[in-house]
Amino acid sequence: VTEFWPWVPILSAAYLFLAVWRLLAYLRYFQQEGYEHRRFLRWVNVRSLTDPAFWLSVVSAFLFLIDTLLAVVLFTVGAIVLGLVQPDPRRSGKIPLRLTWRATRVLVVATVFAAAGYVASIRVFVDVEVRAPLVAASIMFALLPLALLLADAVLMPYESAVQRGYYREAVAQLRRVQPFVIGITGSYGKSSSKAMLAHLLQFHAPSVAATGSINTVMGVTRHLREDLVPGHRFLVVEMGAYAVGSIARLCALTSPSAGLITAVGDMHLERFGSTETIMRAKSELAQAVPPGGLLVVNADSPNALRIARQFADRRVLLYGERSAETLATRVEDVRFTKDGSHFVLRTARQTYSCFTPILGRPIVLNLAGAFTLATAVGADPDVTVAACRTLKPVSNRLEVVEDAGVTWIRDAYNSNQFGFRAALEVAADLPATRRFLVTPGVIELGPDQYDVNKALSRDAAMTCDHTVVVAAANRAAFVDGHRAAGREDRLIVVSNRSEAFAWLHEHLHDGDIVILENDLPDLYERSAGVFWPARQQAGT
Amino acid sequence: MGEQTAPAVRPTIAVLFGGRSLEHDVSVVSGLQILHAIDPQRFAPIPVYIDQMLRWWVGDDLWHNEAFKGGGPDRSRLIEVTLSPGFGTSLLVPVSLLATLGDRTPSGVATAGGGRIPVDCFVPVLHGTFGEDGCIQGALELGGCAYVGCGVGASAIGMNKRATKIMAAHAGVPVVPWVSCERAVLDRGHGWLTDLPARVGASFGWPVIVKPCNLGSSAGVSVATDADELISGVLRVFEYDVEAIIEPFIKNRLEINVAVAGLDEPVASVTEMPVTSQSTPLTFAEKYKRQGRKSIGSSEGMAGALRVLDPEQLPVEMRAAAQRHAVAVFATLGCEGISRIDFLIDADTNELYFNEINTLPGSLAFYLWSAAPHYWTITDLLARLIGRAERLRAMKRGLQRKPPAELKLLG
Repeated sequence: VTEFWPWVPILSAAYLFLAVWRLLAYLRYFQQEGYEHRRFLRWVNVRSLTDPAFWLSVVSAFLFLIDTLLAVVLFTVGAIVLGLVQPDPRRSGKIPLRLTWRATRVLVVATVFAAAGYVASIRVFVDVEVRAPLVAASIMFALLPLALLLADAVLMPYESAVQRGYYREAVAQLRRVQPFVIGITGSYGKSSSKAMLAHLLQFHAPSVAATGSINTVMGVTRHLREDLVPGHRFLVVEMGAYAVGSIARLCALTSPSAGLITAVGDMHLERFGSTETIMRAKSELAQAVPPGGLLVVNADSPNALRIARQFADRRVLLYGERSAETLATRVEDVRFTKDGSHFVLRTARQTYSCFTPILGRPIVLNLAGAFTLATAVGADPDVTVAACRTLKPVSNRLEVVEDAGVTWIRDAYNSNQFGFRAALEVAADLPATRRFLVTPGVIELGPDQYDVNKALSRDAAMTCDHTVVVAAANRAAFVDGHRAAGREDRLIVVSNRSEAFAWLHEHLHDGDIVILENDLPDLYERSAGVFWPARQQAGT
Repeated sequence: MGEQTAPAVRPTIAVLFGGRSLEHDVSVVSGLQILHAIDPQRFAPIPVYIDQMLRWWVGDDLWHNEAFKGGGPDRSRLIEVTLSPGFGTSLLVPVSLLATLGDRTPSGVATAGGGRIPVDCFVPVLHGTFGEDGCIQGALELGGCAYVGCGVGASAIGMNKRATKIMAAHAGVPVVPWVSCERAVLDRGHGWLTDLPARVGASFGWPVIVKPCNLGSSAGVSVATDADELISGVLRVFEYDVEAIIEPFIKNRLEINVAVAGLDEPVASVTEMPVTSQSTPLTFAEKYKRQGRKSIGSSEGMAGALRVLDPEQLPVEMRAAAQRHAVAVFATLGCEGISRIDFLIDADTNELYFNEINTLPGSLAFYLWSAAPHYWTITDLLARLIGRAERLRAMKRGLQRKPPAELKLLG
C-alpha cells in the first residue's frame, strides 16, 4: 500500500479535472430539463456507464495489478485526452449551457460532492484494496450525475427562498397592471390556442402571452416579471395540469377573469389514474373564473362539455363542429389546400368565411375557440377574421413544403393520434398522383399503443398508396393494421430513417405527396456530443 | 496589433453593433466587418456589443464571429459597460467594478483608472430600431461624443418612409405615390376594412405593395392584389410597426442603389443593381439569410450578394440621375456618414423613383466605393469619416449652450 501513495495526488488531480468537465456536460442537460430531478434521471439512465471516463478508470484499475506505472500513466493521460476531446457544453449542441447564477451554484456544490465522494470512497477501500483511488474514480464516474441532483437538493431551501421572492414580485406586478386575465387549459391544443388568441387579440388591445409552452407557476412568474407592463389590457396564460392542484396554483397567482377549455381527453391517463381525476384537474380553471365570468368551451369534447355543465353560473360559450349543442361559434365547410385551411364560422348573428395559412382540423377548431373568446371580450369579428389570415404556420407542424414537384407534409412534432389523423385528412384533401406516408407510429400510449397504432395503420392504408413504417416500435401494429385493411401490399418496412429516405428517393415522382409523420426526433443526442464530438449526420 | 510605425497614442474607436431590432444579426455581421476594416496602425478599434436588452458589453471574444453563435456571446467572459453620464466625458465605464478584476478587460486599448475606457469616436453599425432611427445617436449626443453617421434628425426622418418621401418630393426627387394607414384605425371598429381598399383603389389601383413605415428591413413587406390581401398585409405590418405605407406595385421593376458619403461635400458612389431585383421584392430571408450564411465577419457578407455595379444596360442619363437624386436626398435630410439611397425603375415607362434611404446600410455599402471613379477602400473611407466626425464634434462643442445674459433668470 505504501508504495502506492506517491501516485495518489497525480491520480486525484486527473480525476478532478475530468470530473469537473463531465459535471459541466451533465449540467447542460440538467439545465435543459429545468432542474427537474426525475426528468434528468430519465435522460441519464445508464449513460454514465457509457462514459469512456468510467471505463478508463475500470481498465486502469485492472491494469494496476499488472503494471502500476503503466496504469497511472494510462489513467492520467487518458483523463487529460478525454477532457480535451469533450465538446465544451457552453459552446456546443442545440441548446448550449448558460452558466447562470443557479448553474454556477449547482456546479460548485456538485464539484465539492464529487471530490468528497472520491475521498470517502478511497477511505472505504484503502485498507482492503491497493487500487483505492482508481476504484473510487470508477464509482464516482458512474455516479457523477447524482452529484448534480444532490447539489441541487442541498441548495433547494435557498432556491425556494429566491423563487418566493420572484413570486411576490409577479403578484405585485399583476396588481399594478390589472390586466384582464384569460386562462387556457386542455389536454392538447393549449399552446397553439394561446398563440392564436394572443395573435388575434393584439389587433384589439395591447396583449401579452408567454412564448412557447410556458405553463408552470415558475415559468409564468418569470414571464410576468419580464414581459407584463402597465398598459397591457389582456394577459393570456397557458395552464398545464401536471397533477391535481397545478392549475389551481396558477389561478391563485393570476386570478383569471375568463377561461378557455380546448379539449379534455384521456391523455396522460397514467399520470392521473382516472378520467375523473383529469376532469377534476382541468375544472380548476372553471372553478377559478368568478360567477358570471366568461368560460369558452370546446363542445366537441364530451369531457370539456361536462365541465361546462358543472359551472352553469358562468357565462358559458360553446364552440365546435360536430356537437349537437347550441353553439356560440360553429365550424362548417372545412377544406384544405396547399396554402392553408378554408372554413366558415357561424355565430348567432352572422357567418364569416375564413382562411388561415395553417393546416389541419384541430387547428381550425382551436381557432374557432380563440375567435369566440376574442370577440366575446370585445374584439371586432371582422378584424378578427382578417387577422386569421395573418397567422403563421409553425415549422414541422403540418407544414406543407413543395420541393422539385413533390409536396411534403411535414408533421414531425405531432406525436398523438389526433395529429396523425389530421395529417392524413389534409393529405387526402390535396390533389396528388400518389400519397406516401413515412412514420414510426405514435408512442408513449402504454397498454393502448398496439391498438391505437393498428387503427392508425388501417386509416393510413385507406388514404395512402404506400406507408413506410420506420423502426421496430410499432411495426407489428402497422403490419396487422394493413392486413386488416387487406392492403399488405401497401406497407414497406424499414429499420431507420435513412432507409426510408433511400426507398422514397427511388420511388417518388412529380405530383406525389409525402407525409412525414411523427419523426420521433432524438430529443437528446446519444452519448456522442456529450462525452465526445458528434459526427455530422448524413442525409436529410 | 501595433506595428513599428504606430503612433504613440492611437485614438480609440468603439464600433457599436447588435441592438434591439429585427436586424440584430445583420448588424453583428456588418459590425464585425467594419471592426476588422479599421486601420489598426492608426486607430485602436474596440468592439462594443449591444444585446437585445440594450445592455453594452466589451471583451476580446467580441472580435470573433464564433462568439455570436448559439444564443450570443458568453457574458461571463465579457464586461458590461455603460456610457458614462455627463456631457463630454465620452467614457465606457464598467457597470460593476467586480467584473474588471479578472482578465476580461479588452486588450489593445488604453484604459483609465477603474477599467474605464476613454473613447475618441463611436462608429454605430446598428440597423433598424434603436440604432438607425436616432435613438443611439441621441444618447451619443447627450454624452457629447464624436460618432460616425447621421445625427438624430436625419436618422429619425430616414427611418420614417412617409417623412422621407415628403422630404424627397420637396427636393424635386420623384417618389411613388402612397397611402398611409396608422395602427390607430384598429381602435375605430371595422369601417377601415372597406374604406382602406376603396381609398387605395381610388388613388392608384392594384396590385399594391404594403410596407411598415418605420422599418429598414424587408420584414412585414407583402404584395396585395385584392382587398383581402391588402388587409392581411396591413395587419401583418401592425405586428411590427404603428403605420403601414401602401404604394402601387410596379410589376416590371428594377432596383438601383447609390451610396452617398458625407465628406466635406456629399459624394455619390457608382450605382448598383441587385440581381434579385426582378418582379417580387426581397423577403427578409432572401435579403439576409442566404448571404448572411456566409461566415459572419468575413469581408464577404452582404457584399457577396449578387449585384451588378454600374449596370450598363441602363442609360447613362438614368444612372447619373440616380446619383444626382441621391445627393439631393442626402443633403435635404442633412445626412452624415454613409447612406445608401435606393431607387426603383418602372421598366415599362423607364421612370426612376426614389424608394427609400438607409442611413446605416449593411456593411456601410463599402462595396460601392471599390469601383470607378473612387477606388476607396473601406479602411480609407472609415479614416476620413472618423476625421469628419471628430471635426463635427469639435464644431458643435463651439456652439453656445450657456444661457446668455437675457436668459439668465437665476442671477
